[in-house]
Amino acid sequence: MTTENFPKATTEKIANRQFLYMLFMMRTTVVIALLPVLTSADAFQDAWASAIVSFFGAALLVLIIGGLGIKFPELTAVEYAQKLIGKWPGKAVSLIFILAFLVIIATDTRIYAEALVTGFLTETPLAFIVFMMVIAGSAAAYSGIEVIGRAADLLFPIFVAMLTLSLAFAIPDALAMKENLQPVLSRGAGPVLRGSMVPIIIIAQYLSLTMLIPVTNQPKKALGTALWALAGSSLVLILVTLAVTTIQGPDHGSRLVFPFFSMVRTLNISVFLERIEIFALFAWGFGIFIGVSVFMYCGTRAMSQIIGLQDYRPLIGPLAVIWGTFSVHSYQDLFELRTYFQPRIVIPYNLFWILVPMGILWAAYGIRSLAGGNPNEK
Amino acid sequence: MKIQKRKNKKPDNPLTDNMDISQRYQEVQKMKLGPCLEQNLETLQQISGYSQDVKIRRFNINHQIPAALVYMDNMTNDTIVEEILRALMIDTKKIEEWEKGRHLLRSAIKDLLIVNSVEETGSIGELFFKMTFGNTIILVDGQPTAFICSTVDQKTRSIIEPNAETTIRGPREGFVESLCTNITLIRRRIRVPHLWIETLEIGSLSKTLVAFAYIKGLADEKMLQELRDRLNRIDTDAILESGYIEEFIEDQPFTLFPLALRTERPDKVSSAILSGRVGVFISGTPHVLIIPAELPMFLQAPDDYYEKTPVGSFIRSLRWLAAIISVFLPGFYVSIVNFHQELLPTALLLRVTASREGVPFPVVAEILMMEILFEVLREAGIRLPAAIGPAISIVGALVLGEAAIRAGIVSPAVVIVVALTAIAGFSTPVFSMAIAFRIVRFGFTLLAAVFGLFGMQFGILLLIIHLCALRSVGIPYMAPMAPFILQDMKDNIFRAWTWNRSTRPKLIGKREPLRQKPGQRPHPGKDAQDKNSGGNKNDN
Repeated sequence: MTTENFPKATTEKIANRQFLYMLFMMRTTVVIALLPVLTSADAFQDAWASAIVSFFGAALLVLIIGGLGIKFPELTAVEYAQKLIGKWPGKAVSLIFILAFLVIIATDTRIYAEALVTGFLTETPLAFIVFMMVIAGSAAAYSGIEVIGRAADLLFPIFVAMLTLSLAFAIPDALAMKENLQPVLSRGAGPVLRGSMVPIIIIAQYLSLTMLIPVTNQPKKALGTALWALAGSSLVLILVTLAVTTIQGPDHGSRLVFPFFSMVRTLNISVFLERIEIFALFAWGFGIFIGVSVFMYCGTRAMSQIIGLQDYRPLIGPLAVIWGTFSVHSYQDLFELRTYFQPRIVIPYNLFWILVPMGILWAAYGIRSLAGGNPNEK
Repeated sequence: MKIQKRKNKKPDNPLTDNMDISQRYQEVQKMKLGPCLEQNLETLQQISGYSQDVKIRRFNINHQIPAALVYMDNMTNDTIVEEILRALMIDTKKIEEWEKGRHLLRSAIKDLLIVNSVEETGSIGELFFKMTFGNTIILVDGQPTAFICSTVDQKTRSIIEPNAETTIRGPREGFVESLCTNITLIRRRIRVPHLWIETLEIGSLSKTLVAFAYIKGLADEKMLQELRDRLNRIDTDAILESGYIEEFIEDQPFTLFPLALRTERPDKVSSAILSGRVGVFISGTPHVLIIPAELPMFLQAPDDYYEKTPVGSFIRSLRWLAAIISVFLPGFYVSIVNFHQELLPTALLLRVTASREGVPFPVVAEILMMEILFEVLREAGIRLPAAIGPAISIVGALVLGEAAIRAGIVSPAVVIVVALTAIAGFSTPVFSMAIAFRIVRFGFTLLAAVFGLFGMQFGILLLIIHLCALRSVGIPYMAPMAPFILQDMKDNIFRAWTWNRSTRPKLIGKREPLRQKPGQRPHPGKDAQDKNSGGNKNDN
């Protein structure tokens, strides 16, 4: 394959609908894989309340991340950073995005690989699975954001069908054990707020907005689209949290590694269909794939703009090797991966990625506006 | 005596044996007719090497002026040729009237020729090409130009139902090898002047006529220009089949999937043209290309539209299911037996395991062996004469399959899987797509053997990325599913009622999105009531 078969990165456009699907899947996959356990670790039976709170916190961060993109609908964050604070400082700040994407890609692929290795492919070396996902994601990123958008169109119905079926079949069991939710909010608001911290901070994934807003058809409406995606995945989070805490119980649920898949495993649809969690895992893998390929696209695109390349595609090969290696080596095992999601570790990291670059850029934007004149002009 | 004469002429021949094609071509292009009839005839024969299918009939116009008819054997309509001869040899009163001035003779002859079209030319190269269409040439002594009379009679097989694309309900016509007949079949179905047919000649030796038909004002002009450019860019010696053209104009050559739909059915081409697509006709083949073509089109058959809507939707979704089975079933079986036994209910698992008892090969080897065996059988079945075709199916399917199981070389479950896959594969209406599915299937089987279901997931992801990246003349290959277009989903895996499908495909028919007046759902009871009440009013 040669690059000339694909459209130039600057002319590619995705529909806002596809943008919504991408954002929804990238957040929902990580959320349903790990988060119920983390929220319930602090909030126990009130985890669903944490899930509701997390929507508002995350929405605030989305506004911070995406707000500047609306002011510069034609430019990626790397480009408007250079406009706002000068060429070299802008590039330096943009490096933080690259770092964020690197860690997010490594973590997402690792979660996928761990889920497979713990449940199904117990003897397969982890690196194989990681590199399979990295290769698939790189192929998607190489084909361009339009192609990822179309793949999202195809995979979104499968993903949603999996979620709907899993949750629908969980309803009878959940109703039977609804006393697991009681007592409601007995320990006050403190644990609920603490429990919502991690789901809020995971929104660092939406740093991809900084690269994606200019490729949407209607960049002005992109922020609204992102909030809708967030609302959708928050709804899923609430439902999944409810299902997991009722069916598994707040204590047991908080100790499970992949609580959602364990819950699906307990469901028994009929005598003929047992162990259907493999299909849930299958559909969930599609979601992970969309997330990973979007991050790869954003990471390489940002990188190419920092070093001033016309086309981002030549960078995918080398970066793919780094992502894969990082994913295999940055966590010893599943427990270290879970430790990463402990509030005391994940919050500082993610806050740094979000607040430092966006803070600098917002400040520069504010100063330029106050100083008079249009900040859109250099 | 005659031989002697030829030998004398040889030095005049500008075409020597050691000239290559391009030199000969240039030389022929330069040649002009002279005033001497015999000289002209000799030149015509020299450039065609005295080929025996170039027929020359010498005669005298009005028993005085020597002239000759030249035509290709078996390409002309004998009745018309006789009519020309009769007019020039016998009914020649006009010639006598005009005989006084030679310059009038040409118009006199033209008046006498009772044929559709008469052209005049002095270029020998052009004469020859016209002759190969079935035209007859009249050379007159003393005239440096020749008359080209249209006497085309294309001998072709009759219009019968194509073997490879049969339907239960619908027209029984199929394209033939003649370009003109094929275009007629379309023109009869779309009888407006906006059906435009552009013709061009491709192939330096074959001079194949390639025509593309579309509806002016509906087909996208940018797409047409792109298609025109791609066709004009082709520089080759011969186009013998539509496959040649297809490979020259594809968007992405490195793919298994066909990016142009080949069909022999005029109703299919008409329906495509009516949506804003283009039909590419190639002289000499009954296969017409439809461009652009998206993947869902390859899983549609004309029956879907002719049967009632629920039936059409049912058979169409069945076909999708069969396509999915034909791609994934062997891989799924391999991964279940190798990795995910827990997915099967216990009773079924025990059966499968018991049937594998004593089989010496790993399951993937079994599957691949049987798959390849089946492909060989299929290929042999196509090549064999029809008379012994059934024999191979009996030997192959019954004897080999049965014996393999009896001998314990393969397990019965594998034979079931392979047979099911094969049958599912044949339900894909377009062969080129079915064969693509078949090849992809081997990849999935291998991935499943190594990584189980998750290897297949990897394969599915790569396949989706590949399919989503494909385009057919700029139209995304997976439309209307990716990108998702809600209005086109009315005619995709399911089909909505004909009165409900008021729009053309969005990306292709965007210039004239509305196909019919919306809201034509029949309301027989209501209509009658309206009429009745109207009638009552009149009564009152």
